[in-house]
Amino acid sequence: MLAYIIRRIIQSIIVVLIVLFITFCLPYFQPHGIVAPAYVVYGTRATPANVALWARQNGMDHPFLVRFWQYITQLLFHFNLGHSYKQNMSVWAIIKLYVPRTIWLALTSLILATVIGLVVGIIQASRRNTVFDYTATGTVFILYSVPAFLLSLLLIDLFAFHWPHLPASPPSGVAPWAMFTDPKGFILPVAALTLLSVAGLSRFFRGAVLEVLVQDYIRTARAKGCGNARVLFRHAFRNALGPIITLLGLYIPGLLGGALIIESVFNYAGLGLQTLNAALNLDVPTVLGITLLVSLLTVAGNLLADVMLGLVNPRIRIEGGGR
Amino acid sequence: MSSAEVTALPTPPESPQVQSTQVVPMWRQRWRIFRHNKLAVISLVFLIAITLACYLVPWLHPTNQTNQAATFNVPWNAPPSAAHPLGTDSSGFDELGRIFYGGEYSLTLGFLAGFITIVVGTVYGMVSGFFGGIVDTVLMRIVDAVLSIPYLFLLIALISIFGRSTTFLILVIGLTGWFGNSRIVRGDALLIKNLEYSQAATAMGAGKTHIIRRHVFPNSISNIVTVATFSVADAILFLSALGFLGLGIQTPQTDWGTMLQAGAYQLQNGFWWEVYPLAAVFILVVVSLNYIGDALRDAFEVRLIER
Repeated sequence: MLAYIIRRIIQSIIVVLIVLFITFCLPYFQPHGIVAPAYVVYGTRATPANVALWARQNGMDHPFLVRFWQYITQLLFHFNLGHSYKQNMSVWAIIKLYVPRTIWLALTSLILATVIGLVVGIIQASRRNTVFDYTATGTVFILYSVPAFLLSLLLIDLFAFHWPHLPASPPSGVAPWAMFTDPKGFILPVAALTLLSVAGLSRFFRGAVLEVLVQDYIRTARAKGCGNARVLFRHAFRNALGPIITLLGLYIPGLLGGALIIESVFNYAGLGLQTLNAALNLDVPTVLGITLLVSLLTVAGNLLADVMLGLVNPRIRIEGGGR
Repeated sequence: MSSAEVTALPTPPESPQVQSTQVVPMWRQRWRIFRHNKLAVISLVFLIAITLACYLVPWLHPTNQTNQAATFNVPWNAPPSAAHPLGTDSSGFDELGRIFYGGEYSLTLGFLAGFITIVVGTVYGMVSGFFGGIVDTVLMRIVDAVLSIPYLFLLIALISIFGRSTTFLILVIGLTGWFGNSRIVRGDALLIKNLEYSQAATAMGAGKTHIIRRHVFPNSISNIVTVATFSVADAILFLSALGFLGLGIQTPQTDWGTMLQAGAYQLQNGFWWEVYPLAAVFILVVVSLNYIGDALRDAFEVRLIER
């Protein structure tokens, strides 16, 4: 087991290094290359001499590999994700400001979606080819086909404009207690992200449980007189847990991407909206810093999922690391 | 997966034995199964119809979609009327004509980007799976790395750096969307090169390119075709997501995502015609692509061919 974990950690480190290399190289391709921030700092006074001076002061004239090494060590030891010259803040400070709201949005909907998706998926799998199964499959299929932005628009139009019961956007303060000034404002964004995630997850949960239900040990359990509920929750659900754990680990990027779109539709001042505004303002360091952070989170999620899967299912860690 | 059990290599349709010995050519077999799926056939017809409409309508029945100066005597945000069957948008452009005009861009970009993803993904996956060993490890670690950057964030980062011309939007989606595809193709290649017929070919002295061309590629074509359909759907989806976020094609050109963003601002005024007709068309296009993909997957599922 330990060997398996170590192997997966080494793989993850390599992956992280490649990601770092990508985010390190991208600024070279923007207009003016890596000295672009100098033009933001100096504005109309950006003479070649000024720009060259700025480049020297900020270590931009070091060789490529030296800069890459500095980039890595800065990230590892100082958690320096870069500096936004447009907002004159470190990227980490920007993230710290907005990340609680995104975590709140993503986590609430992930929990809601997992619970709803599991319940729907298990009922569907156990009552296969019944009216409930078809209705649920149909609904999920529709939800799955509707893009995130259209679903959010529809929710806003229905519940904020047509029947004006709920606010179209949440309170926009970034302080943690701002969430409680108008909790009703969070209903629509959370509902939108939950519905989207349910669409993705319950299809998978149904499949995972169904796959287990046809196994021999389920038949054995039934033959030994196991009740329906016991078979479902004791035997089927536990064995389906492996793929479910992996999916949740792999689901992080999808969740963050969905959160980005939903934040932009609902004007939800979170990390996603911040990324988008930074991109529209050509604030490259912020975009790359946030992208790097979500990628690191994704790698960590995958690693965690694999390790937990290895704990749940001994076959994987014995078989070897090949994916 | 299914490819493990592939038995029939594509038989040339013009071969004379085909008719006499009742060996149905592969593509016709697939088509028979595909045809059984009524929803998929309807989707295919719809997709062809909407594609033709998007390319032909702006040409056969041109409406003003680019000249802002010519919209001064046209009512803006006008509800549907005889002159404008779906009303006009907030710039005074005819909404119905604009759906086709925007569709031209959405579909062209989506198909081209999807095509790039599938070509690059196939080549990369084939090389990785077929050569194996250190090549495979290196290539797949790169794929792992790129796939661990959430796709939407990657797209936004690339667009903020490279800008967003039409060409670049195709390239950015095409050249970043293939990593998932390559993983699927690589799995197939890895499997097929170890099957008996590949080994037999190797034993008979066949070269690597021959084996890739005659054995590995034809036998993984089922997955490739299916993945291609979903790739196009994804490309259209992500393109419109970018448009909706304000990072899509720039005015006066437009695409469906950009149009939906413009319409979204008018929803609070109750101007439903600027969102819902287009939303319906858009969702139908994506759904039909998904249905076609599902049906293709079934059609290539070898176990189903015998029924």
